[in-house]
Amino acid sequence: MIRVGVDVGGTFTDIVIERSGEGVDRQVVVTKVASTPHDQSEGVVEGILKVCGLAGIEPGDIDAVFHGTTVATNMVIERDGAEVGMITTRGFRDVLHMARHKRPHNFSLQFDLPWQSKPLVRRRNRLPVTERIMPPTGEIAVPLDEDEVKQAAELFAKRGVDAVIIAFLFSFLNNAHERRAKEIVRSILPGAFVSCSSDVVNTIREYERFSSTAMNAYIGPKVSAYLRSLEGRLRANGIDALVRIMQSNGGISTIENSCEFPIGLLLSGPAGGVIGGRWTGQNCGKGNVITIDIGGTSADISVIENGQLRIKNSRDTEVAALPVLVPMIDIDAIGAGGGSVAYLDPGGAFRVGPRSAGAVPGPACYGKGGDEPTVTDAQVVLGRMDPEHFLGGDLTIDGSLSEKAIREHIAEPLKLSVDEAALGILKIINNSMALAINANSVAKGIDPRNFTLMGFGGAGPLHSVSLAEAIFAKDVISPVHPGITAATGLLVTDLQYEYTHSTLLVLDKATDAEFKKANDALDELIARANLQLDADGISRTNRRFQQIAECRYVGQGFELRADMPEGHLGTRSAATIIDNFYNAHKQVYGHAFRDQSCEMITLRVVATVEVDTLKLPKLGKGGRTNPDEAVLYRRRTVFDDGQALETPRYRRDMLLADDRLAGPALIIQHNSTTIVPPGYVATVMDYGDILIRRT
Amino acid sequence: MTKQVDPISLQVIGGALHSIAEQMGNVLYRMSYSSIIRESQDLGAGLFDRDYNTLCESDSTPMHIGSLPGYLRGIEKTVPLDAWKPGDCVIHNHPYYGASHSPDIGIIMPVFFEGELVGFSANTAHHVDIGAATPGLVIDIPDVFAEGMLLNGLKLFNEGVRNEALWKYIRDNTRVPSLVMGDLEAQLASAELGVQRFIQLMQTYGKDTVLQATKQLMDYTEAMLRREIAKIPDGDYVAEGFLDDDGRNRGVTLPLKVTVRVRGDGVEVDTTGSSPQVPTAFNVPFDGSTKVACFFAFRALLLDTYTHAEYIPQNEGSFRPVKVTSPLGSIFNPISPAAAEARFSQIQRLVDLIIKALAPVLPDKCTAGNAAVLSFAAYSGIRPSGDYWVFLEVNEAAMGGRPFSDGPDTVEELMRNTRNNPLEDLGMHLPLICDRYEVRDDVPPGAGKFRGGAGVVKSQRYLTPGFMTHESDRNEDAPWGIFGGKPGHGSKVELRNDAAGTVSYQPAKFSGLRTNVGDVITYYSPVGGGYGDPLEREPRKVLDDVLDGFITVDHARDDYGVVLGEVDDGYGWALDDKATQTLRAEMAR
Repeated sequence: MIRVGVDVGGTFTDIVIERSGEGVDRQVVVTKVASTPHDQSEGVVEGILKVCGLAGIEPGDIDAVFHGTTVATNMVIERDGAEVGMITTRGFRDVLHMARHKRPHNFSLQFDLPWQSKPLVRRRNRLPVTERIMPPTGEIAVPLDEDEVKQAAELFAKRGVDAVIIAFLFSFLNNAHERRAKEIVRSILPGAFVSCSSDVVNTIREYERFSSTAMNAYIGPKVSAYLRSLEGRLRANGIDALVRIMQSNGGISTIENSCEFPIGLLLSGPAGGVIGGRWTGQNCGKGNVITIDIGGTSADISVIENGQLRIKNSRDTEVAALPVLVPMIDIDAIGAGGGSVAYLDPGGAFRVGPRSAGAVPGPACYGKGGDEPTVTDAQVVLGRMDPEHFLGGDLTIDGSLSEKAIREHIAEPLKLSVDEAALGILKIINNSMALAINANSVAKGIDPRNFTLMGFGGAGPLHSVSLAEAIFAKDVISPVHPGITAATGLLVTDLQYEYTHSTLLVLDKATDAEFKKANDALDELIARANLQLDADGISRTNRRFQQIAECRYVGQGFELRADMPEGHLGTRSAATIIDNFYNAHKQVYGHAFRDQSCEMITLRVVATVEVDTLKLPKLGKGGRTNPDEAVLYRRRTVFDDGQALETPRYRRDMLLADDRLAGPALIIQHNSTTIVPPGYVATVMDYGDILIRRT
Repeated sequence: MTKQVDPISLQVIGGALHSIAEQMGNVLYRMSYSSIIRESQDLGAGLFDRDYNTLCESDSTPMHIGSLPGYLRGIEKTVPLDAWKPGDCVIHNHPYYGASHSPDIGIIMPVFFEGELVGFSANTAHHVDIGAATPGLVIDIPDVFAEGMLLNGLKLFNEGVRNEALWKYIRDNTRVPSLVMGDLEAQLASAELGVQRFIQLMQTYGKDTVLQATKQLMDYTEAMLRREIAKIPDGDYVAEGFLDDDGRNRGVTLPLKVTVRVRGDGVEVDTTGSSPQVPTAFNVPFDGSTKVACFFAFRALLLDTYTHAEYIPQNEGSFRPVKVTSPLGSIFNPISPAAAEARFSQIQRLVDLIIKALAPVLPDKCTAGNAAVLSFAAYSGIRPSGDYWVFLEVNEAAMGGRPFSDGPDTVEELMRNTRNNPLEDLGMHLPLICDRYEVRDDVPPGAGKFRGGAGVVKSQRYLTPGFMTHESDRNEDAPWGIFGGKPGHGSKVELRNDAAGTVSYQPAKFSGLRTNVGDVITYYSPVGGGYGDPLEREPRKVLDDVLDGFITVDHARDDYGVVLGEVDDGYGWALDDKATQTLRAEMAR
């Protein structure tokens, strides 16, 4: 079995290849190539060919390619999608224009509303037709005027739109009108990307459903084109492997499904990192992990509890300030990274980020014209990143430029020494990250004292111990390949599909007839899942189904997920759901009520199929303490408490399992440095991950 | 004397305070029951020191930001500083003791550290119904006692023990106890969180360091605002307008006058010349609302968070440079027992007049006339079970054109920033159905180089008999254009019943209207004024507005001098550049 994971980032495309199976030497090789933003698939294929060369594998022998892509996200951010037409209920043409009518800034008169200034569907292409479905039963109050639908479709044909959506009010109660309208549009526009809101996300709340449907159509034609072109390019290079795409929920999907529901790919990029973090945790026997993926301009934070990913509340899932009602891993991105700029603002306050020096001009030490100090410059000045090992020596940097930038911009104005100023930069950026971690953990009922902090991305292990101290995490792990954790994540995840239907039901008062209606909806969701898995050729025995009820107390507006027992809903399973909801409410808000009725709003079915998981070869046993043979050299390093110590640099590739390194120590590998401060000890784990604890 | 906190720790503590306030706000709105809190986020939450200075506040609805110190000062009349005990919790809503207005109930908990009172954790939230004369909202009432329950510095918890009699009193005196009691629970959870986090912060960094840091953060925010005020030339800047009526004496408009006195790095807002207080609820509590509006105006104008890169901590420092003067007995500073519940439209206008007054000296920071209003609708009725349903809805409006961009359409402007209610969620739970929710297209937005924002139109139909109160204004005084821009339009409120074949137009504010099955209330919001000469608007944008149906072909020609020709491309119209140049040259003469 030969499998490849390819993760495309803004600067680099990371590739990992694994050969496994009986009678074969287990082999894992990683590499990276420059990303090709104009067409990511070029870099993907180049990287696969390169890794095959390094591993001595014929490209044609690859069985499966797993891919994490930012194509969909970039298209939304850059507003580079399709011209979309929309057919909607008469009287409600502007649901997308009004959004939730809240502005993104309280204290601003000059703010921008992206849903108005850069709409997914322009008003001229939002055409109302006569029809009306009535709540709460879904009865048809006004039948669909099919002639109006036909006229709208013909107008769209004349205008040459690429995609058409049909979005009617209350379609989650009854989608007959949406379905019929879709048939009519299909017959007139056979080549267009046509979808209705109840197909994309069959849930209550019109703005979020319409906008999600619009976004799906907005990115649909081009994402499909990209995935088809990737497939074609692979075939042209003799790679006839299965291709699977990472989704925002942490599962993988087929090309066909991704082309139909590209909206599921908006977190395809960062999801791989979290999955890789979970897998690394498992390799180290850690189920509770806080991951932070630190790049040049931003850091992605996520929490894994008992080996489970946390899924974001669907009320909070947004991309580029637009709602996206599909399940996403709860990943919080903040503008803090190696390129974050340190400066004094006009009021004299010491700021670090969110402004970033980016790749160009980059940190001052790059010598590319950036004269403002960055977080990376602080690391260089403090002797935490050695110039000769910067990016494995691929990039030449000048430490004196870092020092000059910090001295002139920070140290002298604040009357601090250069070391103090550099430590201040790190303290402020670490504090920003720690607050973001707290908002993602403590604020959601998670106690970091029971969690391991795992920093990855090239810069992650430079910050891990400081962050762990700030949030009182139990210990720290530096993964074996911090720079390519996201790519490895692609090789360790499951096939996963989710289906939802809003089915409102007050659980503690439901009648048999109401339960039956909900069970019909449940059966339909499972049937849809089975249809998809049949198409993927997955055997029945390998399918697993998880049922979730999204509930709230009657009168509330925000649902929380409650696990639902297997099988049909009834009085007993309703009682279990109510208990599970009570516990979730207690965890999230610190309060919960026994005397309030619990209302189920949305049913969700998650279908998963386990696939093979990456296995790394174990390291040989070392069991040494501070092995001299792995020491490169010793040099001055300044730690958070201000101590400057002669600190040994260890080569990570010379370390073996059970080796112990007492801090102060730096562990250097290609593209990443791990810091072990005084008072800490690092232990090398079986697969090369490093556990760092207080002595 | 505590020594100065270093700049690094200052950033660290400032970030932590900001994060605490955000989490307090989040718990409150997510856990709450009534749509006015959970969807509209009509709430505020924060931490305060024992001198009642705001240390941090959640970034929720501007109206609440800056109002809590007034509550704390009002409570002191009943609960002096030395009367607080750990585990206490005070509930307060008295508009003549600092409250913003009576439905905004404050929950306040003391924060003790090492046995000493160091500050307060507090929040306010708008409650759906506090047992006033009419369900939900009031307009035409005689005095403050008709507003409903007045809670003046009462201890809801005594050293951790809930005052069950008070709890029961509140439950028995609202029309919708299931919502109000649940919302109070959410407020308690939020305030408790603030207490815990504030204590943890002092445990981590030390009490003296934290308190010193808060002082420096306030000084910093104050300095940032003063820097901007100092750039405005000294002078007296005046603007005027008028309100429709007081909700009882129809046809009698109420004058508004605002004088902004800029002196160095400080500023005074004087409302002298505005209407005397009125005999209905259409007055504005001075401490909790008038002052807050003035604080808001200068932050939004001078420290606009969209154009400023740096986050500036939300604390007491932003209030200090702004002095507010309103004569006692005027609409902006009424004398008890005048009712003062329906105050939002007036403070919106106050902010808008400050902007108008300063526009000549702040052309790059101001806006043309905003809708500057609130449409606050209380729909209610009695279910067959005998229980009340009450639903408060905020209808958005529009902003005026701006120096570099059009006024946003259909948006919450100025002091408000609520979210609308999903129509589908309402339809599933209330005997009310929405028939129309769209951009207002019966009148064009105020023309300008940057046009005003288009307003909203919303129709709600009663499925059972009920009641309605509408708190609003501005049917009459249209938002102004500026620097050559054209004015926008005022609002209108239509009541129709298709079965009965009746249509009538209502004043912008009315209370206790009894409604029948099939009655449809349609609100057309005001429309923003234009900024700059319409002849300077890019013709391409005028074409876009025609294609998008915001304006007509005739309006494009008459107000913008843009001539369009018919084309058969599916869209219908294209620019006639030559005819446009000719027409614009003629019109410019």
